[in-house]
Amino acid sequence: MLEDKSNVKAWFYLGPALFLLSIFIFYPIFNALFLVFLRDYNYLQGTWEGFTLFENFFYVFRNQNFTQALTNTMIITFVSVPISVIIALLISVWLNSVLKLRGFFQTIFFLPYVTNAIAIGMAFAFLFNQNYGLINTMLGWVGLNPVNWVGLGATWGNAMFSLLIYVVWASLAFKIMVFLSGLQNIDKQYYDAARVDSTKRYRIFRRITVPLLSPMIFYITITSFIGAFKAYTQVIGMFGVRLGPPGNDKSLITIVALVYDALDRSGVPGALSEAAATAIVLFLITLVFTLINMQVSKNRVHYSGGGK
Amino acid sequence: MVLDSVVYGDEKQNRRKARIRFSLVLTMLIIFGLFVVIPFYWMMLTAFKTEAQVLTAPPILWLNPLNWQFSNFATAMDTAPFLRYMGNTVLVSSISTVGTIFTTVFAAFAFARLNFNGRDFLFMILISTMMIPGEIFVITNFLTVVELGWIQNQTYMNAILAMTLPFMTSIFYIFFLRQSFRQIPDELYYAAKVDGTTDLKYLFKIMVPIALPTIITITILNAMGTWNAYIWPRLVTQQQEFRLVSNGLRDAFSNIAGRILYNEQMAAALLVTFPLLVVFLLLKKYIIRGVSRSGIKG
Amino acid sequence: MEIRLENLTKVFTNKKTTDTLAVNQLDVTIPSGKLIGLLGPSGCGKSTTLYMISGLLKPSQGSIFFGDDDVTTVPPEERGIGLVFQNYALYPHMTVSQNIMFPLENLKVPKEEALERAQKIADLVGIGELMSRKPAQLSGGQQQRVAIARALVKEPRVLLLDEPLSNLDARLRIQTREEIRRIQRETGITTIFVTHDQEEAMSISDEIILMDFGVKQQMGAPQNVYDEPENLFAAKFLGTPPINLFDGKITAKKIKLGTAVIGSTKAAPNDIVIGIRPEGFVVEEEGPIVADVEFVETIGRDTTLIMIDPTDATKRFRAIVDSDYRIEAGHQVQLSVKPHKMYIFDHETGERL
Ligand SMILES: Nc1ncnc2c1ncn2[C@@H]1O[C@H](COP(=O)(O)OP(=O)(O)OP(=O)(O)O)[C@@H](O)[C@H]1O
Ligand SMILES: [Mg+2]
Repeated sequence: MLEDKSNVKAWFYLGPALFLLSIFIFYPIFNALFLVFLRDYNYLQGTWEGFTLFENFFYVFRNQNFTQALTNTMIITFVSVPISVIIALLISVWLNSVLKLRGFFQTIFFLPYVTNAIAIGMAFAFLFNQNYGLINTMLGWVGLNPVNWVGLGATWGNAMFSLLIYVVWASLAFKIMVFLSGLQNIDKQYYDAARVDSTKRYRIFRRITVPLLSPMIFYITITSFIGAFKAYTQVIGMFGVRLGPPGNDKSLITIVALVYDALDRSGVPGALSEAAATAIVLFLITLVFTLINMQVSKNRVHYSGGGK
Repeated sequence: MVLDSVVYGDEKQNRRKARIRFSLVLTMLIIFGLFVVIPFYWMMLTAFKTEAQVLTAPPILWLNPLNWQFSNFATAMDTAPFLRYMGNTVLVSSISTVGTIFTTVFAAFAFARLNFNGRDFLFMILISTMMIPGEIFVITNFLTVVELGWIQNQTYMNAILAMTLPFMTSIFYIFFLRQSFRQIPDELYYAAKVDGTTDLKYLFKIMVPIALPTIITITILNAMGTWNAYIWPRLVTQQQEFRLVSNGLRDAFSNIAGRILYNEQMAAALLVTFPLLVVFLLLKKYIIRGVSRSGIKG
Repeated sequence: MEIRLENLTKVFTNKKTTDTLAVNQLDVTIPSGKLIGLLGPSGCGKSTTLYMISGLLKPSQGSIFFGDDDVTTVPPEERGIGLVFQNYALYPHMTVSQNIMFPLENLKVPKEEALERAQKIADLVGIGELMSRKPAQLSGGQQQRVAIARALVKEPRVLLLDEPLSNLDARLRIQTREEIRRIQRETGITTIFVTHDQEEAMSISDEIILMDFGVKQQMGAPQNVYDEPENLFAAKFLGTPPINLFDGKITAKKIKLGTAVIGSTKAAPNDIVIGIRPEGFVVEEEGPIVADVEFVETIGRDTTLIMIDPTDATKRFRAIVDSDYRIEAGHQVQLSVKPHKMYIFDHETGERL
């Protein structure tokens, strides 16, 4: 009957998923925690030189690219997430307010979601081409000189700027869709009530839309932060495996790139442990910022009403 | 009445205000819409240019369709076996999607409908691993795949297995499906029980059809994920022709020393993007609805 | 099929909060072929009782008999019951006919026969023309009938309905309950009908079972329970407008409401609660109860008087009297009581004396 425990049956249903999860999720977590404490682990021979608490983390911090990777990752995260959240919020509110053409614009704004990151990254690289790119042409229209964004010897700043434009571009679609569906779930009554009280537009936005949408904004912000800390394919898409403009290799390296860098050296003793340590550092950074995020939004998120 | 005329006056003014507001909003939407569309346009435009046209400054911004250079696509296909890559991608994506749906539907059913010891605890553990960055898994999974012998002297079969098996389940999708399963009223289950429906039959005849939108969403997200997959396939494939589209695209145009042939590069990029765009326009309704739902917590 | 519940008890154990005693030692015999109303306030354990009879919930104690068979441990699908839920629980993705045929599918009834039976039962409940629609395209009342048809199609031995009318509007409710009554008569299936609406239960049931806090309060024909409530709860729960309650006393075999003596009894001297139905008062010059009239409302034949309780000026009571009397608000009236409309209850236990 209903309340009877169905243990055997449950494990049968869970079996396939749990089997795969154990091999590809649970075991790797423990293994990473194991690897990170091994000294000079050589996986080809399966040998190591005893245990160490911090040595592998020191490798990470002493890696010549670590500071650059950390800086880049932070900049990508803290510039692209707020900008894209705000732009997405505005666009979705605008979209929600027009009836005509909404479907058309919705399709347009969703396009970036259904593309291949590498393909579009390449297109962006060519958009920013110094001599033949559209961006410099447009700058020319307003009388500005062409800039070497991503070409041979381009500065870190220029390359980073181009990358950020691409990252924001690529991350808008998902946010717009989620916000738009959240907006459409807000009970029209709130707006009618506000209209009756002749509330000004921007006040409606500040006092009704944003608070009612706040659980969704909060959720999207957190997941975007988590996603942005893992930036890597965007860099690959725009700059290829050199991770930077020609002549300025690795200038746009990120933390995830460090993990794969170490993994590529997997034959070298200690490299896997370094990869694990890097991934754990990334996890800790993500965790800290997620917790800060939750703390900050604690008092600003209204969980009743609004989107389901 | 006085009141009426006041309201009426307001009405007129309001309508003018509304029109101005609409124009403003439309302008902003058009500006941002252009921002979104330009890279696509640029990709297509370049893909149809001749090399000379690409290397014209200032760039040509409009190409008469009569002058489109279709041969770029043929050249791009010669540079790398893109059809092969697409075939691989479709295969990998189908296998992993079918596998994912199979495992997640069963697991989500157990979490949503069955009563067993440790259910809530297990579920909590699953949820808490969702925060851990994938790179932590990748390290060991790479070793596991090596251990399984799928890397050394890799066969096509090995490569496909290595690219699909680790992605045949997903905690996020289990969570997502469980949410939609739990929205099905308990009474439906009771009614089915009274009629002697087995759990398996209830799952497939009642729950799956009702949760079909979610399952479609998962299919779409999963397929799109594979189309975009770059890192893992690069790690585990040992031969060019086993790779997926993203790898093919990146590698084909990174290795050429010296000048990049932008028109061919963009032609290849368009080849890879085009199928996705077609699928999107065909399934627009489902994709937009599904993706929006996937972003809504709880 | 007679249904017998013996000492039926259900305790919900819960890790976080305290245990809930949802049904407490229920002893009931439901005669074959009758429509029984299971009536009680929200949360009193009606659904729990129904779910135990259906086999969806396992009793903590006690047994359930269908005829001579002990079905306490028999799984729901083998009990031969039809169950109709408050929210109908129709499968949203199936058409009406697929919904109705679904139980037959489980019984491996051949397709043609299933179709035939589904159509027959759909005609019986009056939805024969709606077979190819989806539930979302039906009105509440129509969905209701589909749910009943789905429960009836496998020719159950027992039909269980859990507040089947509570999602319908007032008119549809009356219409549909008549319909349920008719279908029950035509099929002759023993039926248990759960509701918290006393009027609904009274109007269609052969007998009602009154429950409160998981305990059976009284069982009997609706009019009997109304006329002879066995306890305070039964008296209070039945009747619109509700019964009037007064604190009273028994002294020397006399029933006293304040100073007024309104009847006699053999019961021992005691504090009591006196219940008088609104229609139990008669305006009489010599009447023992003297009360101030606060408000008068005449509708047709009846006059409703709202009066100040002579024993407690903060309370009001209500009498429905013949409109022949000309009574005005602000005046005093004298009332006597019809003995058969007055009940006295123990002040402590609420038992009828
Ligand atoms: N699964 C459960 N776990 C714990 N307590 C429960 C459970 N189901 C019901 N209860 C409790 O048992 C009591 C009886 O519930 P039941 O659903 O039978 O009431 P009911 O008479 O049907 O009420 P209503 O008219 O509101 O439907 C209630 O106090 C309820 O809170
Ligand atoms: Mg109930």
